[in-house]
Amino acid sequence: MGNFIGKSVKRREDARFLKGAGKYTDDIKLPKMAHAAFVRSPYAHAKILSVKTEEAEKADGVVAVFTAKDGCGEFGVPCGWQVDFKNGETMREPKHPLLAKDKIKHLGEAVAIVIAETLEQARDAVELVEVDYEELPSVTDPKKAMEEGAPLVHDEWENNAAFDWCIGNDRAEVEAALEKAHHVTEMEYRNQRLAPNAMEPRSYIADYDVNGDKWTLYTSTQNPHLIRLLLCAFALGIPEHKVRVVSRDVGGGFGSKIYHYTEEALLTWASKEIGRPIKWTSDRSEAFLTDAHGRDHVVKSKMGFDKDGKIVAHLTDEYCGMGAYLSTFAPAVPTYLHGTLFQGVYTTPLIHLNVTAPFTHTVPVDAYRGAGRPEATYLLERIISKGAQEMGMDPAEIRFKNFIPPFDGVEEEGYQTQVALQYDSGNYEKALKRGLEMLGYEDFRKEQEKARKKGKLLGVGISTYIEGCGIAPSAVVGALGARAGLYEVGQVRVQPTGKVSVFTGAHSHGQGHETVFAQFVADKLGIPMDDVEIEHGDTEQVAFGMGTYGSRSLAVGGSAIIKSIDKILEKGAKIAAHKLEAAEEDLEYLDGKWTVKGTDKSISFGDVSLTAYVPHDYPEGLEPGLDFSSFYDPSNFTYPFGTHIAVVEVDADTGAVELQRFIAVDDVGNVMNPMIVDGQIQGGVAQGVGQALLEEVVYDEGGQMITGSYMDYAMPRADDLPMIETDRTTTPCPHNPLGVKGAGEAGAIGSTPAVVNAVVDALAHLGVTDIQMPLKPQTVWRAMQN
Amino acid sequence: MKINGNYTLNVTPAVFWEMVMDPNVLEKVTPGIKELKEEGPDKYEAISQVRVGPVKGNFNGNLVIKDKVPHESCTLEIDQKSKMGNVIAEIVMKMVPLEDDKTDIQYTGEAKMSGTLASMGQRIMSGVVSTLSKQFFKSMEEEIEKRDKN
Repeated sequence: MGNFIGKSVKRREDARFLKGAGKYTDDIKLPKMAHAAFVRSPYAHAKILSVKTEEAEKADGVVAVFTAKDGCGEFGVPCGWQVDFKNGETMREPKHPLLAKDKIKHLGEAVAIVIAETLEQARDAVELVEVDYEELPSVTDPKKAMEEGAPLVHDEWENNAAFDWCIGNDRAEVEAALEKAHHVTEMEYRNQRLAPNAMEPRSYIADYDVNGDKWTLYTSTQNPHLIRLLLCAFALGIPEHKVRVVSRDVGGGFGSKIYHYTEEALLTWASKEIGRPIKWTSDRSEAFLTDAHGRDHVVKSKMGFDKDGKIVAHLTDEYCGMGAYLSTFAPAVPTYLHGTLFQGVYTTPLIHLNVTAPFTHTVPVDAYRGAGRPEATYLLERIISKGAQEMGMDPAEIRFKNFIPPFDGVEEEGYQTQVALQYDSGNYEKALKRGLEMLGYEDFRKEQEKARKKGKLLGVGISTYIEGCGIAPSAVVGALGARAGLYEVGQVRVQPTGKVSVFTGAHSHGQGHETVFAQFVADKLGIPMDDVEIEHGDTEQVAFGMGTYGSRSLAVGGSAIIKSIDKILEKGAKIAAHKLEAAEEDLEYLDGKWTVKGTDKSISFGDVSLTAYVPHDYPEGLEPGLDFSSFYDPSNFTYPFGTHIAVVEVDADTGAVELQRFIAVDDVGNVMNPMIVDGQIQGGVAQGVGQALLEEVVYDEGGQMITGSYMDYAMPRADDLPMIETDRTTTPCPHNPLGVKGAGEAGAIGSTPAVVNAVVDALAHLGVTDIQMPLKPQTVWRAMQN
Repeated sequence: MKINGNYTLNVTPAVFWEMVMDPNVLEKVTPGIKELKEEGPDKYEAISQVRVGPVKGNFNGNLVIKDKVPHESCTLEIDQKSKMGNVIAEIVMKMVPLEDDKTDIQYTGEAKMSGTLASMGQRIMSGVVSTLSKQFFKSMEEEIEKRDKN
């Protein structure tokens, strides 16, 4: 075995994508399909005085206009995670209506849906709906939302807090250690709000079929089964077995397509009302206003060091904006996906994080590539570098001093952190050493010194990150407030001819599962990759699944498939033993056949498959067929880690930052397909660089978004990036069968602080110790002048 | 968004005042105005069409002239609604007499935008406002010339 695992097999899905033959939701055209457009609020906070739809209803091609008064969505879309207040008070969970009824709580909130024969007719009729608003004062900043007298997002509570939360050691103990510390480094900053910007905007088609009273929802989601569950059990209260959710090709998600959005539920409801399929595809402006955003933390932090640079304590207080409603995973992001990573890769003995999560008059905030972990990594990697700078230490040296020593999780136990988690395996020094070697760190420092003398501002930034992937096990996350399990389902169906269909509950929206999953399935079964087909994204094909996010597909979804393969091989061995008239224990499975050890007697996988379905000469008492489904619930998260190093030059006259080199040494455990892992890392790095240098959602004082298009929201482009130099160390995950850790988010997690550290390093001799992201030329220039 | 600027016209403050207070003149010189209906003393309903870079829209709403100090100053209160968002503005206009019967018109104020106007247009809005203001005064100049010929 081993023909495919670890090889850079080209992506099978690319043939159809490159030919324009992918089938995205918007490509689907159903007979009698109508089109929807939304009437959206131009205000962040307003009373709805009246909604007049008569003119729109009379317009050409209009099929129906619905408002909240028409009875849609009495329940609203639910939140999937509950984080209660520290004092035990239940999380405040406002109803998230499908259409706003009396009050607008964020810019772009929908007031009415217009359904017409064509998209153009629907959009024209939207203009005819007259809504009379009374604008109210709003608050968009999470810290200001908690100030005395801030405008309330939800009138039913006395302030804007959705919940508060803390993790780690006793606060007083951490404070006492900071008092006694040799040096305390402080930071106050904002981890700015980001818009997710998947290339394919959200797109839905709801199709109610009166024949059988059934619904089909085609949706650009990352987790079709979860959407079906939330839609049926919460938003609409319709029977789950009568609903099919299909999500085949999806053009990027980055988290923003995990959540159950109001439009999905509303279209499903409206489709039954009009008895026709309805399509809605977001345009880019709507995407800025209505896709769940990322980050939005206001941070105040202190880290204490002893005289040798060893961290003695870390205390952080954060305000983490939730937006106007609680999106599906929102409460988990600044808490269990964030605070639990505050150990980083360091032996910090005392840690305390306190989080206040307020509602604001903005679109909901939820997981965005990395989800809570980029925010944790940014803080740790910036503050340790700032500490080194203030104490006159080298940023690499301070890290080596503080690293958790290597442990493999097999011979040596996992590392128990101060913030609940136990790391599986890690070798943090090795990744940093490799990164420094690739850079030529000492030579760079000499070059930097020379360059400075000529007025050239060069800088290097180091980030040694860790993250938690494949969030699990279900019992633990349940105890932490998750309202779902976090296992995965993998079904392997061997067809009579020995061809294999694999059904996975993981979802591919760019990850390349059709290739990677087929690689290890083919290897484990010793058959050609062409004999393996990977199916995903259809609740009627796949038994169940939790979808893809948190870099979980291979670690959790792959492991479920492995469990089913084991069952296939176990049953296959019984059939083979019968056919070969040998004892099972005398057989070995190699290269796609069972062989009686030490003989040339063998039977192929295909022959066994056929026998399973044509069981004429068959073991007594054994069921026919070769088809197994498995649920895999991991015993722990996985913990990928690595070192990212950025080299920048800052233009001394303009403050413009040029990223000259980017080195990424990532340890994602065992690697199935190096090309795909490299691609994931490169894409993630581009997103992380985007946050460091370019991207920011800005609301003005009136709650208006002034970065609502690509004219004002800067995305990274090819010429903002150097060739990204990737390498790997390999520390296998000890607790899943493939030894994999996950690679989807690492790039976005490690890169952002590396870039900011590099810019600060370039300006260190000018006395600059911190700069607020994004590092726009004017921001950098101003920092240089002060 | 802050709005401010100035423009020198070849008329005395008194003449300028008279012209600004005349809805027929206002209707002619205000860029994009399609209709200006007098609703009451110093209160008008305005219907306009404005093209602002990538966004264009039909506006309607009110224009109120208040705090009137004849030949010296007044305040314009503008409340315009459109499908691409709404604009609320308050602009103080001062007429400073210069030599040779000229007047320097100085205006200062603040405009608040919402919706697509804010998300798409904010960045270019100050440029647009300055263009529209220039257009307003240019048209005013033309009106003055016509008036002088008559």
